[in-house]
Amino acid sequence: MALALGASTVRAWLRAGGRSGLSACGLRWQSQTPEPPAYPGIVESTEEYRFVERLIPPASIPEPPRHQSYPTPSGWQPPKDPPPNLPYFIRRSRMHNIPVYTELTHGNRQMTLIRKVEGDIWALQKDVEEFLTPLIGKMPVTQVNEVTGTLRIKGYFDQQLKAWLLEKGF
Amino acid sequence: MLLIRAALGGRGPGLGLTPARRALSTLTGGDLGSQEQALTTGLPSPGAVPLLRRCELPVPVHRTPVQAWVESLRGYEDTRLGLADLHPDVFEVPPRLDILHEVAIWQKNFKRISYAKTKTRAEVRGGGRKPWKQKGSGRARHGSIRSPIWRGGGIAHGPRGPTSYYYMLPMKVRVLGLKVALTVKLMQDDLHVVDSLELPTSDPRYLSDLFRHRCWGDSVLLVDVDEEMPQNIVSAVSNLKTINLVPAVGLNVHSMLKHQTLVLTLNTVAFLEKKLLWHDNRYTALYPFHLPYSDFP
Repeated sequence: MALALGASTVRAWLRAGGRSGLSACGLRWQSQTPEPPAYPGIVESTEEYRFVERLIPPASIPEPPRHQSYPTPSGWQPPKDPPPNLPYFIRRSRMHNIPVYTELTHGNRQMTLIRKVEGDIWALQKDVEEFLTPLIGKMPVTQVNEVTGTLRIKGYFDQQLKAWLLEKGF
Repeated sequence: MLLIRAALGGRGPGLGLTPARRALSTLTGGDLGSQEQALTTGLPSPGAVPLLRRCELPVPVHRTPVQAWVESLRGYEDTRLGLADLHPDVFEVPPRLDILHEVAIWQKNFKRISYAKTKTRAEVRGGGRKPWKQKGSGRARHGSIRSPIWRGGGIAHGPRGPTSYYYMLPMKVRVLGLKVALTVKLMQDDLHVVDSLELPTSDPRYLSDLFRHRCWGDSVLLVDVDEEMPQNIVSAVSNLKTINLVPAVGLNVHSMLKHQTLVLTLNTVAFLEKKLLWHDNRYTALYPFHLPYSDFP
């Protein structure tokens, strides 16, 4: 009795409900279920490599950009154009700075070194002596190396010499 | 600069103005310039000499390019076809002979592996037993028959195993060595610029006669850019001992000093200037240059 009643009600319900009735109770036809998607395979994309490319550093040093006014906030100034009319010329370093460096050996031997001097280095030595004599009060002790184009001075004078060379226009 | 002007070479009397002599003529006020006009056969005036090559890379403002005659190997009298500008930071650097010495010695020694090896007293066969007792035999006391004071014994401080003499000079020192060698060759009139290495024949005698006629010295090093060179010059040079042909990447200080004359083509000059001047404006290497950088190669 209950079985017959259950079967007839299912049949009636199936006829009446159809597809919406099936989905309401969580069941669906096999033809209606979406098939699992086909495996897409491996797709190699090179579009994202630009994030790597922008991290790779350059190898050559760029030219400094043109600023509105000099000296720049960091104190940098480009060399004057045209170059000064002197018997010697002091080239800029590869980072576009004045090549004056300090050295300390034996813990107490302070020296200043001017590198990259081209032309008559003895004229530069005379000019440096004239510039530094009033600052020290006596003649500065200097060493000229013609082969390498360097001038070594006893004592720390890098700031004064840098300003003096900038003012000359190197 | 005095050192450069003092290094006047020059072999033949009829060669005309070479770069060193031109530098001297500016001191003497152009007397050699009038001599040059008398010697040349077709060129009307120094102003009409064609400039066949300019420097591609920027020249510093305080310096001017140094010039060299462009010649040709096609004919015996094909000298002085025009002038070529050479970059002063490659062909007119201060003559650092100490750097030349450093680089030449490095080239000789860094490949050396000495295979000399001697046996110590521990490695010589035998000598484990005390030869005679310490006291009583009347002879000197000894511990083994293979000690260094014995005949047939081991060597005390001899060469031990293969020794490598490998060391690398900094890249910039090696580059400066090449620049100094090129400068020295140019200033001593041993550098010749040629438009290309094309020959009319592949006869080796033509080449040696040409070099003898032009007084280019006993040994000549010809440099071209690529590895593909005209077939005539390759076959001519392969049968000659003192005339050698190398690609530009094979140029080195030892070869330049070993050969009396250096001959570069115009393409080689451009290649060398580009490669050697790049080192003046580069950052220090974060990682080796054979790995990619954003603007190199």
